Amino acid sequence: MKLSKADMATRQAFSERMLEYGAIDKDFVVFEADIGYSTYSYLFGEAYPDRYFNMGIAESNTMAAAAGMAADGRTVVVCSYGVFITMRAVEAMRTFICYPNLNAKFLSSHGGVTPAIDGVTHQATEDIGIMTLLPNMKVLVPADTEAAKKMFDVAIETPGPIFVRLMRDPLFNIYSKEENFELEGSKTIREGKDVTVVTYGDIVFQALEAADELEKENVSIEVIDMYSIKPFDKKSLLNSISKTEALLVVEDHQKRNGLGYELSNFCLKNKPVIFDNLGLDDTFAESGNYYKIIDKYGISKKQIFNKVKELIHKKGG
Amino acid sequence: MNNKFQNLEERVQYLKEKAKEVRINIIDMIFAAQSGHPGGALSAADIVTALYFDILKIDPKNPHWPERDRFILSKGHACPVWYSCLAMRGYFPVKELKTLRKFESILQGHPDMLKTPGVDITTGSLGQGLSLGVGMALEGKLVKKNYHIYVILGDGEINEGQIWEAAASASKYELDNLIAIIDKNKLQMDGFTNKVMPMDPIDKKFMAFNWYVVTINGHNMKEILIALEKAKKIKGKPVCIIANTVKGKGVSFMENIREWHGKAPNQQEYKKAIKEIEESNNEVK
Repeated sequence: MKLSKADMATRQAFSERMLEYGAIDKDFVVFEADIGYSTYSYLFGEAYPDRYFNMGIAESNTMAAAAGMAADGRTVVVCSYGVFITMRAVEAMRTFICYPNLNAKFLSSHGGVTPAIDGVTHQATEDIGIMTLLPNMKVLVPADTEAAKKMFDVAIETPGPIFVRLMRDPLFNIYSKEENFELEGSKTIREGKDVTVVTYGDIVFQALEAADELEKENVSIEVIDMYSIKPFDKKSLLNSISKTEALLVVEDHQKRNGLGYELSNFCLKNKPVIFDNLGLDDTFAESGNYYKIIDKYGISKKQIFNKVKELIHKKGG
Repeated sequence: MNNKFQNLEERVQYLKEKAKEVRINIIDMIFAAQSGHPGGALSAADIVTALYFDILKIDPKNPHWPERDRFILSKGHACPVWYSCLAMRGYFPVKELKTLRKFESILQGHPDMLKTPGVDITTGSLGQGLSLGVGMALEGKLVKKNYHIYVILGDGEINEGQIWEAAASASKYELDNLIAIIDKNKLQMDGFTNKVMPMDPIDKKFMAFNWYVVTINGHNMKEILIALEKAKKIKGKPVCIIANTVKGKGVSFMENIREWHGKAPNQQEYKKAIKEIEESNNEVK
């Protein structure tokens, strides 16, 4: 499966769709905290200056002001980086947006270690854990530009708070323009019978690469892009693990409180199978080349390859 | 000023009587709950009474009337003062006040937009209300409506850095529909504000953020009304009214005492407090 290189990052794709959607839905507004040229929200700001509020480098005020506007029923999009939006502004998000279930959407760029060269301060490796913890919050992670564009529509058209994790740099094209995405959906990109590999975002590509290598050794893995992290697609997961009897969750996030923890909990209650997960193991990453970082911190195709073989061994295969 | 000004004395007399009733309700409900924050509710009582019984453009029968003025109690722990005014204005029955802080009550420990009619926005986490007000004021500008947003801040909560982020953004967007009132009672939970974290001069700080600033005696009904009327007329910038107040105002043994920030009176204290409020002659000390 040879994938072509993407011509833009998911952050840009999402914002380009936001710009297009601005003409379709004339009511929603966008809040930015002085990284508009990085989140690409400036595109919307240039087209709709009256509906764009750049609140400066002040995420807490940005979030609470967005809540104040949303409290009157308006749909707001709040743009920032994952680290800042899910930590510095999280209380306003929890108390003033999630609690009253307001229509706020979060464009959260620089997810996981994708801002690799920026270092730990900018790598959002706890965002999914923090966001999924908040009642009423829904969480989406597009794996490529097509998915990012479609997920803007899902986010804006679904009531309540929705967090969308985006990437800093362009990766690979996985989906065609015809693909559809929905809340609580998933994509089984590759069918297999030996192990189910569930992942999301940038790691989908790594899982597909690992699948190619494993195939050479007659191992077939089922790769599921669990792009809707909360709520997640229980039906597809159950179908797949009923077939493979083994689950590996891989994510560009802390292992703790990530999707791996969520799915292991689900499996224990509903369908215990051979299980393992890969992610940052209670550690921070560092600056450097993205591919070197994901390899060092255990979430690259190489670790997926090794872990799948380990699981097959455990299965007794 | 306007026609109303000719009747200012009458308005002031009426509001003084209402404020007395509001204070009695505050003590009643905190006594019934055996929990709550009397000090900061009593210090804000005259300001909130003036707003709810004179200034605010509201319709209690239609709490979500789009043209209404918005009220945000950023110092959310003082909610007994707000609940008293809401009940007395008919948003819900006055007897509900006795359910304050109780299981499944519409009157939560801190203001809750999901549970209490007339509460436009949830508050209680300090330092957030001015930002919420900025958002509401931006909305008012976007829909081109003439309502005002009134935000009551404590002088303790302006320790929070986010207040100053909000101050800067209100000034950037020239939010002349936003009126912040600082209940400057000079006490916060751990002691006197000038000891815990000195913030003076507050007026100069807001002026430096390009706000229009007025300082008043927050227990003088005439000064309160004049300042609020003036605030509505200011164009091009947000307004900050610094109201000098006394924490626990109206109950002698609660006044200026740190411990009454968050404590309920016992039976004896309750009776004494009610008697004092009832017998007060409304004069500003």
